[in-house]
Amino acid sequence: MLDVDERTPPLIVHHGEGFSLQQFPLGTRVVYPPDSLPGLPDVTAAIDAALDEPIDSPPLDELLFADMRLAIVFDDLSIPLPPMRAPDIRQRVVEAVIERAAQAGVDDVHLIAANSLHRRMTPDELQHILGERVFRSFWPERLRNHDAEDPDDLVVLGETGHGEVVEINRTAAEADLLVYVNVNLIAMNGGDKSVPVGLASYRSLRHHHNVHTMLHSRSFNDPPRSAMHHSYDRMGDVVADTVRLFQIETTVNNETFPPQFDFLNTREWEWSYRQQGAYLAAKRANELAPAKVRRKVWQAVEAPYEVTSVNAGEVNAVHERTLANVHRQQLTEIDGQADILVFGLPYLCPYNVNSVMNPILVSCLGLGYYFNMYKNRPVVREGGVLIAFHPVPWEFHQVHHPSYVDFFDEVLAETTDPAAIEAKFEQAYATDPWYVHLYRTSYAYHGVHPFYMWYWGAHALDHLDDVIFVGANRKSVRRMGFRSASTFNDALEMASDSVGRSPRITYMHTPPLTMAEVR
Amino acid sequence: MVLSLELYRSRSRYVAAQATQRISGSLTAPLAPLRLADRAAPTPPNPAAWARLRPRLSGICGSDLATLSGKSSRYLSGAVSFPFVPGHEIVADTLDDLDGIPARTRVVVDPVLSCRPRGLDPCDACSIGRTSRCDHITVGHLAPGLQTGYCADTGGGWSRELIAHRDQLRIVPDHISDEAAVLVEPLACAVHAVRRAAVLPGQSVLIVGAGTVGLLVLAALRELTQAGDVTVVAKHRRQRELAWQLGASEVVAPDRAITAVRRATRAHLLRPDHSPEALLGGLDQALDCAGSAGALDLALRSVRAGGRVTLAAMPAGRTDLAPAWFRELEVVGAYATSRNGTLAPGEADDFDTAISMVAGDLGPLIGGLISAVYPLDCWREALDHALEAGRLGAFKIAFDPGAEQRRTGPEAVPEQTADAPAPPVPLTSTGRDNQ
Amino acid sequence: MGAGRDIALLARRWRWARRSLLPHSAIPHAPPAQPREFPTEWARTPAGQVARAGVQQGGLKPVLWTQTRPEVYGREHLDGLEAPAIFVANHSSHLDAPLVLCSLPPGWARQVAVGAAADYFFDARWRASLTALAFNAFPVERRGGTRVTGTAKRLLGEGWSLLLFPEGTRSSDGWMQDFRSGPARLCCGGGVPAVPVALRGTYRAMPRGRHWPGPGRPRVVVRFGRPLRPEQGERPSAFSERLTEGIARLWDEEETTWWEAQRRDRAELLAGTAGPDAPRWRRTWESTRPDRATTTGPFRTWPE
Repeated sequence: MLDVDERTPPLIVHHGEGFSLQQFPLGTRVVYPPDSLPGLPDVTAAIDAALDEPIDSPPLDELLFADMRLAIVFDDLSIPLPPMRAPDIRQRVVEAVIERAAQAGVDDVHLIAANSLHRRMTPDELQHILGERVFRSFWPERLRNHDAEDPDDLVVLGETGHGEVVEINRTAAEADLLVYVNVNLIAMNGGDKSVPVGLASYRSLRHHHNVHTMLHSRSFNDPPRSAMHHSYDRMGDVVADTVRLFQIETTVNNETFPPQFDFLNTREWEWSYRQQGAYLAAKRANELAPAKVRRKVWQAVEAPYEVTSVNAGEVNAVHERTLANVHRQQLTEIDGQADILVFGLPYLCPYNVNSVMNPILVSCLGLGYYFNMYKNRPVVREGGVLIAFHPVPWEFHQVHHPSYVDFFDEVLAETTDPAAIEAKFEQAYATDPWYVHLYRTSYAYHGVHPFYMWYWGAHALDHLDDVIFVGANRKSVRRMGFRSASTFNDALEMASDSVGRSPRITYMHTPPLTMAEVR
Repeated sequence: MVLSLELYRSRSRYVAAQATQRISGSLTAPLAPLRLADRAAPTPPNPAAWARLRPRLSGICGSDLATLSGKSSRYLSGAVSFPFVPGHEIVADTLDDLDGIPARTRVVVDPVLSCRPRGLDPCDACSIGRTSRCDHITVGHLAPGLQTGYCADTGGGWSRELIAHRDQLRIVPDHISDEAAVLVEPLACAVHAVRRAAVLPGQSVLIVGAGTVGLLVLAALRELTQAGDVTVVAKHRRQRELAWQLGASEVVAPDRAITAVRRATRAHLLRPDHSPEALLGGLDQALDCAGSAGALDLALRSVRAGGRVTLAAMPAGRTDLAPAWFRELEVVGAYATSRNGTLAPGEADDFDTAISMVAGDLGPLIGGLISAVYPLDCWREALDHALEAGRLGAFKIAFDPGAEQRRTGPEAVPEQTADAPAPPVPLTSTGRDNQ
Repeated sequence: MGAGRDIALLARRWRWARRSLLPHSAIPHAPPAQPREFPTEWARTPAGQVARAGVQQGGLKPVLWTQTRPEVYGREHLDGLEAPAIFVANHSSHLDAPLVLCSLPPGWARQVAVGAAADYFFDARWRASLTALAFNAFPVERRGGTRVTGTAKRLLGEGWSLLLFPEGTRSSDGWMQDFRSGPARLCCGGGVPAVPVALRGTYRAMPRGRHWPGPGRPRVVVRFGRPLRPEQGERPSAFSERLTEGIARLWDEEETTWWEAQRRDRAELLAGTAGPDAPRWRRTWESTRPDRATTTGPFRTWPE
């Protein structure tokens, strides 16, 4: 945390596939991510310890027996971001589990990616997450992506007390043991979000992925105050009654950028000469590079994350410890709310790994994820203004995001009100046979996915008076009902309509991620 | 002698116009093989059945522009006789007394030169009133020519005088403005196209193109059928606005059309290599109202198997007909207008239907499609404006052949019609409405 | 004009897609086409030998010895063995042939010809030429036919030693498959000695589907065994079993020790090479188990 004074240097601001230094007005409060925690010294030992002495559960070895069916389910490529440098922590955990299964003589093993309505992962992406040895042993018969539209591989486990249908992957649900391997990047992930969401069908997801829960999740990164998580928890209880679940959760630290970009991980006034040189060189090279090369380079970034915790056992007990570890890494305390909240939005959100960040995803990242990185109260007051840096190009990945294109052109052209959109269009998109076909056989996000992305911002849309994008494509920003400014100063000028001439400004200096606890 | 715009045969001009028409109308217009000349007045072959007309307004049609810029199909070159005066969308005053039509009556012209005007016994098509299908358009006592405006002997609308057969004339009710009246002919063609399409109640329809033809087809569709959802493919903003006004259920841009139709019909998409996307499933009907290869292509690719594609505009260019074969489509032509054909008893023919539509509530809206009016000697500006109409937010450009020559000085420029972005010296006919 | 028409006429008989020119009515009269074998004699000329030595010593060996860490045992068994001999090895990787060739003493390496699958290596001209030059390969029909052992016999007669993989194809999961009888028949027919060779770690280093050894300089092992000679009147099937056992013993020696391998009986040895009787994933899982020594290379799989 820092207040900008006359000695404060210009600060790094992410701007899509780029970044720049930006001078902030005096008195701006800057929220830096906490220092990266040291990683576990011996991850292998930590994994073994977690599996041998789980929380509220017998050791894994006791749960494995010959002739059983074992399902190992793991988080998909939407976390962590950027993708973790090999070996991914999921690979290490899965290998440890498989090793024990092989020793116990378990033959019937299935690995299922919990990609829910996300796109299927390509073989290369699966191999990156699980490592070559697992991939070579199991691909393709026993290693696959969850298919939320395969009626033969879904099973209804029951209903919650609120009438929410819990329908998940049949292979996983009917296994003698379901081992879930997670990476907990932010507090929203993990716990009862793992199985009831990652393996669910549209029919089950609609109970918590809707405008109503989003408006009543303050924030969705604070599970006790999130209506969405209350629904997960109810579903998790149904799952716990019918499925033998062994949850393994892991957390990583804040080492988001590789060494050549380490100036992005460092506070500006601490930059060494080498880092200043690296900044200049990287910025210049990034600007000169053709768009395709630039995208390739950014998408190839792999984070040198280190593992900070591995816990296994009963879901809720495990998740409690996991959350504590996430908070230990990310939580920053802030006094009072601001009038203007400023973000630099980076090139990546959970849904454009190896893909294109389209305008809807930009909105989701800013108004959904970043805005909701708070506990207690939003960082910005009600009626405040959000200023975000991102070019918001009118650009879509034709293979990965086919329904996004239509959503942008058809739905947002008519209205940007999440509730109206939900009522009028969601059903048609969710059941469109072409989107279903692409989701199942190509690498496309499900037809309903752009709706969820838009709902993700519902709380922010409701809370904020104005959203201004700096340096953005005017047409795409206008389509989404936001405003665009060419410079930060113009944006502040525009914001003065809502918040007056001397606003309190808070700049969230992310990524690396930080979560604000606002008092 | 009559002041006329004359289209003459010139290979080099055709080639030049053809080459430049992709670049800009302002290059094409002066290169067109057209000249303003004093021609001998056309002489009626049979004074009892023919009258001289003095045009009040004469529209510039898409097919005229295609002919001028060498874009139209070579197939039609056999059905015209050079040199001719273009112009077949005509509202005019008669100069001679005819049976039932005294001199100085305001009339519109059905331009088809079928058996009767040609002084022949009716062919099989004409005998049942399907004059648009006449087999005798190249014979008889007139030079070859499918319509007034393509025939060397009759003259055309882009002049101060032409001749027409009694059979071609329809009296215009007094309360219809000249602007609306000049659109009776294109509207009658639209009515004909809609009747040819035979849209059943509840069927979904795609209209490709939202220029004058597309909008009039939309109006006719809403007036004459109980079509369900009507999707209009419109390129320009002004076209979109009018399409909404005329009752479109959905208006989409050309590059979005396939995906929007797919969304609306929940069809599956076919993605061929090196060829535009197509639908498996889709709308029941499509009407090509633009006449370009791309528009017809889109129509063929967005109709469901067994659906119908109606050619409401003169097709130009080459189109891949594989979808018509593979999806077993009905491809239906709709040329000009018909007198009778398949009408139910008591139903008005295409022209009378159009006149009654214009006489009703739609009159002002349709009259508003006239975006600018030019005197004959400003023909280059007029053609330039017409060639770029969509981009300039304009629809129908018309000549006022009776207007005086170009006057000099800005104070002489009359006020412009709404929406028309300052053409060089357009005349409006606001002062003539009350006649 | 005339010439143009002649060419046009002539062109009618050109068949660009190798369509048969044979008139339908003439089919009964035409002799059946003999499948043609890709000629490899040129690769065994002195010039070919010099070029091959250059490729093997200057190209293959440096690459192999930097990308993997080969360990070669049992070369002493070749002392005193007179050419020709047949080297018989298990097969699970494209690394196998170059590895054996580069592990042989130079004198032997020069005179070994490698049997390579005709349908894989000799289907395209460029690949056939490269394989023939680099490995002194000759085509072996895997589907049977008249020429299965023809070329091999001829080469043995000319004094060339052979390297054969009696499994017939690379293993799909790293474990050894049943042997075909071809090599044993060659030995018994010509009284030629056979040298069993066990290759371990090549599956882990570069299995089917990979085109370059994995990271971290994986360890690969070549073990030559004591030459086996066919007894007077020994049936090829019996000799083939002895060969299998010989390789299995070398395989076991790698897993345990020479002493323990000696004490095992035939069934135990064969069970060791066949892998666990389990689903495919477990067989693959076992044969890709990281070698402890592998993890010390410059690129570690696990940062410890």
